[in-house]
Amino acid sequence: MGTRRRSVISSPAGLFLTVVLSQCLDLIGAFGQNQDTELTFLLPAGKMECFYQTASKNGSMEVEYQVIAGAGMDVDFTIISPIGYQLTSEFRKSDGIHTVEPTEEGDYRICFDNSFSRFSEKMVFFEVILEGPGGDAGGEDDWADIAEPESLLEYKLEDIRDSIDSVHRRLERSRQMQMSLRMFEARDRNLLEDNLWRVSFWSCVNMLVLLGVAFTQVYTVRRLFDDKRRVRT
Amino acid sequence: GSCPGPGPKRGPRWERVLSVLLVSLLCKLTHSLYFHIGETEKKCFIEEIPDETMIIGNYRTQLYDKQREEYLPATQGLGVFVEVKDPDEKVILSRQNGSEGRFTFTSHTPGEHQICLHSNSSKFALFAGGMLRVHLDIQVEEHTNNYAEIAAKDKLTELQLRVRQLVEQVDQIQKEQNYQRYREERFRQTSESTNQRVLWWSIVQTLILVAIGFWQMRHLKSFFEAKKLV
Repeated sequence: MGTRRRSVISSPAGLFLTVVLSQCLDLIGAFGQNQDTELTFLLPAGKMECFYQTASKNGSMEVEYQVIAGAGMDVDFTIISPIGYQLTSEFRKSDGIHTVEPTEEGDYRICFDNSFSRFSEKMVFFEVILEGPGGDAGGEDDWADIAEPESLLEYKLEDIRDSIDSVHRRLERSRQMQMSLRMFEARDRNLLEDNLWRVSFWSCVNMLVLLGVAFTQVYTVRRLFDDKRRVRT
Repeated sequence: GSCPGPGPKRGPRWERVLSVLLVSLLCKLTHSLYFHIGETEKKCFIEEIPDETMIIGNYRTQLYDKQREEYLPATQGLGVFVEVKDPDEKVILSRQNGSEGRFTFTSHTPGEHQICLHSNSSKFALFAGGMLRVHLDIQVEEHTNNYAEIAAKDKLTELQLRVRQLVEQVDQIQKEQNYQRYREERFRQTSESTNQRVLWWSIVQTLILVAIGFWQMRHLKSFFEAKKLV
């Protein structure tokens, strides 16, 4: 290791203090974070849920949603810009993906509407991926302050740093795609489990109807002849 | 506006670290998604996660001030009640927090965990039919790492820290994939079970139909013979 200044943080007390303070200030996840949000929520029948996302000027915002459970597996979707202009409006779709570029400064409103359904509650997954004006996730990876100083030669460092940054971004994208595929699988699984229940239920009903009809037929024919017999004599 | 940059470059290192982290925290929750909760409303979110996975949720609430006609940070009396249920409907976390805070839990069984939030206002007058604005941010696994802490603890250079982040990312992706494999197996079992049930039931149904047909004919024949019609 190269020369390292003796700083407060090297001493055990300083280290402890930093850790304790960061815990007190609830700083888990403050660094190395993207500002992407992914949520799965339950949308009751006949209701509408809206989420608001703050965006910066000239950035881009990508919204992807999937309905993963609920009869019909569809929902109404709208995006409304900060000034109140409706950017997208989809009716009864089961999944969709929209990109708003360039974004205006303010709060975008993302709404899911289940008013058309009277009885079935929907489970909806959506994710919002934000990017700043520079095409990056907004200054998250500036760690020069918190890490130890580099002992490598400066001119090679930039290249390595760039390639690591590129790998990091691609891995994030892989993870997001993985999430998307996982939601498709969850949706198929929920659909299949519903099918299983439906098959069992309707088979039982079928058998009961079958037996009922059989006995009714026999009974009716017997009654028919009993009456005639009585009429004749 | 956009998030401010790295911050002060002078001063003792731990001071710089702290100030940058503080600014980042405020910046992070300012840009997160938010939604509104009514007085008795309960909002639930689902997280499907593998076992032994940690989830951290940060939230911040604001209350609508009618006089100033804007959303201001909520007072101490207005809290948020957080309840987390595991896939077997067992409550694993049930906390009553202040108007701003964080909740953490680690899953012990893989599956769908339900995170429910509802307002816990001890002063209903404050609410007065308005809505509570909740900024929520839920992070899973790798994103829960506090890299500032890791850098300080292991004394890593920037490059080492970045590589460490990549390793954690790949770990998480691999863990997800393993979980995906387990889910796909369950999916396949359900699918085969449904298939079998449909097949078995069709056969039984046909047999019952034929048997009932025979029984009907035989019964009616003996009935007519008894009544001397045939």
